[in-house]
Order: sequence, then structure tokens, then C-alpha cells
Amino acid sequence: MRPEHWRYTIPLRLRSLFRRTDADQELDEELWDHVQRKTEQYVANGMAWREARRVALLEMGGVEQTKEKCRETRRLNWIQDFVQDLRYGFRMLRQSPGFTAVAVVTLALGIGANTAIFSIVDAVLLQTFAYPDSDQLVLIFDVPLHQPHALSGISYRDFSQCREQSRVFSEMAGNSFHDLTLTGAGEPSIVNTADVTPQIFPLLRAKPLVGRTLLPEDGKQGAAPVAVISENLWHGRFGSDPALIGQSITLDMRPFTVVGILPASFRYPDGAPRQDVWISIAQDPLFGPRLSQPGSRVLAGIGRLKPGISLTQAQAEMNTLGTRLAKEFPAEDSGMTIRIEPYRQFVVGDVQFPLLILLGAVGLVLLIACANIANLLLSRATSRGREIALRIALGAGRARIARQLLTESALLGLLGGAVGVLLAACGVWSLRPLLPSDVMRINSIHVGGSVLAFALLLSLAAALAFGLAPALLATLSDLPANIKEGGERTGQRSGQHVRGFLAIAEISLAMVLLVAGGLLIRSFALVTSVNSGFDPKNVTEAEISLPQFQYATPQQWTTFSDELLARLHAQPGLRDSALAAPLPMDRQGEATMAFSIVGDSPLPAGRSPTAHYATVSPDYFRMMRIPLLLGRFFSDQDSPSNPQVAIISETLARRYFPSQDPLGRQMRFGFPPNSNVSREIVGIVGDVRDVALSRKPVPMMYVPFAQAPLYGGEVVVRSSLSAASVAAGIRQAVRSIDKNLPVTDIESLDDALGQSISQERFRTFLVGSFSAIALALAAVGIFGVVAYSTSQRTHEIGIRIALGAGRQEILRLILGQGMKLALFGLGIGVVAAFLLTRLMSSLLYGVSAADPVTFASVTVILLTVALTACYIPARRAMRVDPMVALRHE
Amino acid sequence: MSRPADLVQGTLDMLLLKILALEPMHGFAVCQRLKQVSGDILQVSDGSLYPALHKLEQEGWITAEWKRSVNGRRAKYYALTRLGRRQLEKEADQWGRLSNAITRVVKLREA
Repeated sequence: MRPEHWRYTIPLRLRSLFRRTDADQELDEELWDHVQRKTEQYVANGMAWREARRVALLEMGGVEQTKEKCRETRRLNWIQDFVQDLRYGFRMLRQSPGFTAVAVVTLALGIGANTAIFSIVDAVLLQTFAYPDSDQLVLIFDVPLHQPHALSGISYRDFSQCREQSRVFSEMAGNSFHDLTLTGAGEPSIVNTADVTPQIFPLLRAKPLVGRTLLPEDGKQGAAPVAVISENLWHGRFGSDPALIGQSITLDMRPFTVVGILPASFRYPDGAPRQDVWISIAQDPLFGPRLSQPGSRVLAGIGRLKPGISLTQAQAEMNTLGTRLAKEFPAEDSGMTIRIEPYRQFVVGDVQFPLLILLGAVGLVLLIACANIANLLLSRATSRGREIALRIALGAGRARIARQLLTESALLGLLGGAVGVLLAACGVWSLRPLLPSDVMRINSIHVGGSVLAFALLLSLAAALAFGLAPALLATLSDLPANIKEGGERTGQRSGQHVRGFLAIAEISLAMVLLVAGGLLIRSFALVTSVNSGFDPKNVTEAEISLPQFQYATPQQWTTFSDELLARLHAQPGLRDSALAAPLPMDRQGEATMAFSIVGDSPLPAGRSPTAHYATVSPDYFRMMRIPLLLGRFFSDQDSPSNPQVAIISETLARRYFPSQDPLGRQMRFGFPPNSNVSREIVGIVGDVRDVALSRKPVPMMYVPFAQAPLYGGEVVVRSSLSAASVAAGIRQAVRSIDKNLPVTDIESLDDALGQSISQERFRTFLVGSFSAIALALAAVGIFGVVAYSTSQRTHEIGIRIALGAGRQEILRLILGQGMKLALFGLGIGVVAAFLLTRLMSSLLYGVSAADPVTFASVTVILLTVALTACYIPARRAMRVDPMVALRHE
Repeated sequence: MSRPADLVQGTLDMLLLKILALEPMHGFAVCQRLKQVSGDILQVSDGSLYPALHKLEQEGWITAEWKRSVNGRRAKYYALTRLGRRQLEKEADQWGRLSNAITRVVKLREA
């Protein structure tokens, strides 16, 4: 319509919408006026008044109908129609509470599951990261030239050089972490401290709550020590005292002046669980001195790209810089280069794909649920056929009826959606402890605005999906046939086809899910049954961290560890104990180190082989039941005054000493500045899965703790005592040496290992549950189709029995019908599963995506369930009394 | 006598518009005038007249106004708008072409 039209018509339509009664009154007046004039005309022509009136009314054809026709021309009728549809829909749903309940529950399951998964996806993947313009952020690593995946930190010198010479970054910063002891205001406590370069605050666009963040001057060596504390610490420890700014706090026995408070929502990196204090890295007691050691790669680098600079451009510049640094400082940097990774990718990279797979799986469940409801609606629609046919005969347009049916579906959808959201909220709340803890941003998973919007859209889409087919079918039904008694049966034909098709679709979708679930379960079983290389049963681990201010020298570390082990051994039940740093599959990561073999031709820098590294007390291997293959374990003889020794793992021996005897050979490796210490290989031990249960063992080298002490480590104790007693025993031993030393993270090794496969476990659990739900829904679906068709065929069955068909024959007839559907669905499902599970092969361990055992067992399960589902209506059909059946329609 | 119900909906609109082009009048008068002008051949049933008038009003081709007629009686008077006049011309044009075509076919000489 052209704009001029609107000027005339919009006021008119608005008027009829808002002043409906006025427009109605006018219409009434107009029509009655016409009748009156006509009457007068007839009277003037000689008719009696009464007769004239009657004829005039007849000629009008019914004032009410005419009024309705006039009203229909006002196109804003649709809103009134809609309200009427809604009311009618509500009434219909209330009239069949059983149907409504089943439909709502089915839909709630489907929508609820989807909403729950979406809330996780939303929190982890979709929500904008905490830092503005986070797509400009990149992480900066040092990597060996020929092993670009061996990411490591950068040294302070390299960092400063980069900052000076780089042109692609608008800002660069670095950080590390340390636990320091806060004393002075109450009990001494450990605070998680971020050691940063001051530029990190403008880089992350951090705004302090009170006071200021660090300034560039604070980052210089010899500057006055200042600290920024987090809002949580400020609140918890200092009671949100505003006068704290300018006061001094004591960290590791050194005074720091508080200059600002950062909001509780600010953390780096994004999902870190806790951050209490920020200080300049130059002020940290451990890392501060390391800054001047050029080989010490302590900083985790982060940079913000200038707008318009692409990743490739930046990487190219970093390559050039890396080469320049390698040439300028060959001692530390030769063979190394600089690599950058987008921050976002790094944080979510691992989790993205499995989450999408989960979303796909749960979407399938919803599809099955919709198919079920469509079936339900179809059977209802055909039984409402008479009602609909009557309405059509009385003048309702088919479009109107279809609209009304769709409105009913939308109502159902929204009801199901509402219940589904409730289910999702409960689900998320109860699942939270099960969620893998290393999933970032786990605390922000909640059912919020965008999740609700998703649920709403999904409900409406589902309503459309399951409502469209029945609505179309109902309105296309044959009019005269339906009005007649028993005419409903003839209208079944097309309905039956659609319902059969839906049942087949459900079964194939369920098959896909079942195969996926089965594959994941098998894979998980294999992962958990894998030999980790050590025995984690009844082992408790505890973390000890020696504060720098009290234990500054390696001698003190060694003394402490010796004393601790002695005290542990003295306690009954705790004799089987040892110290290690790090433990296999340690949550904080592994230590990787380059090494060289004395006597072998020297390799160019950067091409040195790397292996995982651990420093352990002599009893470690025995305690963890790691077998000795050749040579000997460490002993008390391996002290700092005796020659340096090492033990290697089987893989290292096989890979780097092929067909040679490694015992007696020497290797060079170590933490800078001791990286060139040569150590004699005195033993070979069995492999241990160091990275993850699903990864093959990596080459490992062990050194005795006495010869390479660390300021902290893990105490491991194997004991048959209860976990609580072991924990108490460890704490007591530590406290008896130093009463101020906290012991943290006491847990059983089994639990810690469980954490390492927590993602797999979560996935398997979810997909397994989804496939169980899908199976149940598909069973209900096929049951529904067969049961309904059987009830419609009661008449026919009665005839068959009366004509002499045996009960067994009837059973086979009905079962055959059902199993035909099931087999079709199975066939399609197998093909679909075969094609689709290939997508998730990266999530499987030890099982191929086309694993025949899984396919076979799932097929058997599905057929059994389908058979059971068909059996019930089949038995009912068997028991049909022909007399009863023939008498009823 | 051809029954008005046989009229295609489109021609009814055109007729009503033309009647109202002569002068504004209320529904009853339109009905009477049409009957009179066409010599009783074209009669609109009351049940179709008012919905048609309301539709024309919705489309913006006529406007309505409650007025007091000569003898003091209140009635809803319809009048043609500028848009309606254009629509009338268009429809009259179409009708002319259609009727010419039909006439030509009917007037063909039979063998």
C-alpha cells in the first residue's frame, strides 16, 4: 500500500482497535438505520408495518452476520482472533489433562536439557570476555625453533627488548604467580599474588575501585614496594576499611604500601579462581632476583595488538625479533623464537568442540521429543476431525483453523518451555559440582537473560515443528467424510503415513545418540582402565610451599624435606611416604626440559630433545609402585656432595639410547642456571602417564630431591588409615617442624587423577544420559504409533478373528507392523550414525568411530526395546473380543 | 433479472465507487440509486452492500462521516476520495477492455 493510503486508513484501523465498542455501536446504528429506511419504503408502497419490517430484515440477511462480515474487513481483527484462539487453546488443553501432561513433560525434558547445555555454552563460549576488545589480546611465548608447540615463558630481558623494538603492540606486559604469606593484620595467611609488570593494567583496561593501579615507575628495580589488593581481600581481611590506602601490609616479611583496590570481577587470566594481591614482579622475593638472569624464562607474556594489525603481521614481526635476539644473545636465545597465540583461542580452544558436540546431541533429543508430540497431536487432530469439519462448514476459513491449531501448539510449546527452564535451572545447579573444574568461567554459568531468550525461541520453534504437520493435515482433511459418523477412519490414511514416518525418524535419531553414547562409554572405560604406570590406591597427596623469606637457600629446602620425611616415617601407618615435584598429571602442569647426552654429537641449538622432569625423594618409586627395570633407585648416597645422578623412564631409554645400555652414560639438563650439569644415569624405571591418562607416556627424567631441591612440592603418602587420619598426620608432621607453615590441597591421588579426566567423565555422563532419554522417548513414540493404529484397527482385527485368524497371527501382524518401523529407523540410524560419529572421533580413546562392537550392541538394545514397546499393544490386540469389536465403530 | 450475487466482487466495488462519485450519500441511498440507474437490473443485496462499503473505506477509496440529513435524521454518509477516484478510473478502464473483448467474441459470425 502506498503511503497516501496510510494517512486515511491508519487512523481508521487504530480507531477500530482502540474504540472497538464505539465502532461496533456505529456499525449497529448504520445497519439498523438501513433496515428502518427499507421498512419505511415498503410501508410507503403499501405493505403492513410488521410485514415490511420482516422483509427488510430478511433482505439484510441477518444483522449479526452482516456485522461480522463488516468486522472482518477490518484487518486488525487478527489480534482479537488471537486472543480468542488463546482462550480456546487453554480450554482444549485443560479438557485433556493427560495429553497435556505427557506433552508438557516430554517437551520440558527436551527444552530443559537444551537450555542447560546452552547455559554452559553461553557462559564458556559466547559471553564477551571480561576484557574489552579481547580479540586484540595475544599471549606471547618463547618456543624452540623446531618445536613450536613446546610453549614456555619469556625472560625479562627478551621481554624488555620486545617492548622496545616491537611496532605491532600498543601495549605489552608479563606476569607470573606466587603464593606469599600475608602477616600483620590477623592470622598469617597465604595470598595468591600476581607478579606483574605495571603495563598489564592499562593493557587489560583495568579500572581500580579505589586508589590507583601500578605505575611504570613501580616496576623498576629498587622502587618502593607497592601493592594493589583485590576487593575480596579488602573486604574479607581488612573489613573494607577505606583508610587502607597508604597503609602498609607485610608480604613474606617485607612491607608493601597499599595503593589501590581492584574490583572483585577483575582477574587475570579470565577464569582464575582467586586473586588477592598484585605487586610488581621486580618486588617478588623469588622472581625479583630472577629478572636479571637472562636465561630465566619466568614471564607469561601478553600483548594488545594495535588496531588493524593482523595476527600474521604480528607473528612475522615476532619471528624477525626472535632471530635478532638469537643472534644477539646466543647463549640463552639461540634456537628459540617468539610465538604469539590469540588469547581467546587459548582459553576456550579445548572446550569449544566438545561443547558443540554436546549441543548437537541434546538438539537430537529435542527433535525426538518434538516428533513424539507431533504424533500425539496428530492422533488428537484426527479425533477432532469432526469438530474441525463442522467449523469449516459453519464458515471458518481453513487458514483460521490452522492458525488456531498453531496457537494451541504455541501454548503447549511455551508451557513446556517454562517447565523446561525450571528443570534446566535445577539441573545446572545440581550439575555444577560435577562440571570439570578446569572449564573456565564456571562460576558464571547460570540461567540468565540470553539463556531465557534461547529457551523462548526454542519453545516456539519446537511448537512450530510439531504443530505444523497436524495443523496442515487437519485442515486438508476431507470435509464430508469427516462429518459423517465413522468418517474419521477414512481420514486416517495420510495421518498414519506421517505418524509412521515420525516414528522412523525418532528411532534413527535415537540410534545416532545411542551409538555416540556407547562410543563415549567404551572410550571412557578404556581410559580409566589404562595403566597409569603407578598405583594411586590409598595414596594421599598434600602440597607444601616454603615461603621465600624463611627458606631462601636450597640447603634449607633440603633440610626441611629430610626432616619432614623423617617425621612422616616415624608415624605409624605413614611409613610409605615420599616427596615429589611435580606429581604425574599434576594440575599445575608438568616441567619440560631440554637435555643433551654426553658423548653424542652435539645438536644445533633449538633441536635438543626435551623430556619431562621431576625431582623426587629416594623412596618415591617404591612408594608409587613404579617398577625398576634396570640399575637402581635413588638412595641416601645421592647427596649434593656425591656425583649427580639421574633415573630415566623406559620411553626415554628406548627412544634416545636405542640398542645401547644407558646405564653409566651422562646427560646434561637442569633448571637455569644449572642447565649444564651432567648427571649419570643410574637406573631405568617403568613409564608413567605424565600428561593425561589418554596420552601415551612421555620420556621422563628424574633427579634426587637432595641434589636438585625445590622450594615446594607434593608429599605423597600411601596408607591404609582413613583419609582424615592421614591428613591429620601430615599436618602434624609439618607443624612440628614449622608451626606457621600451611599445608594445602590435601586430597587422595585417585581424586586428583579423576580431575584429570573430569572432562571426559562429564561428556560421557551427559551423552549417556541423553541417549537414555532418547531411547525412552523413541520407545514411547513407537509404542504410541503402534498402539494408536491398533486401536483404530480394532474393528478390522475383530473381523479377522471372527473369520478365523489365530491369536498368534494377530500378534505377528501387529508386531510386524511395529518392527517394520523399527527396522527402517534402525537402518537409517546406522547410516546416519556412521556418518556423524566420525565428527567426534577426536574425543574417543582407543575406540574407532565405526566400532562394530558398539554398533552391534546398540542395535540389539534398540531392537529389544522396540520389540517390548510393540508387544504391549500387540497383546492387547490379541485379546480383542470380536463381538465387542464388531459392535463398536 | 440478474441477481447481484452473480456480480464479481470487483465490479461491485466499481459500481459503488461510481455511484459515490456522483455525490456523497449513505448506504441506503447508494442501494436505491444503483437500482434506479440500472433500471432495476443491478441490485445489491443488503448483506453484501455494507461489507463492501466498509472494505472500500478500509482501502481508503471512500471516507465516511455521520451527518444529519435534510429531515434531521442521522446517517453515515460516504464520499469518494481522490484515491478512490483514481481507483475508479482504473477499474472502469479494465471493465471497458473486458466488456469489449467479450462483445467481440459474442458477435462472431457463426458458420
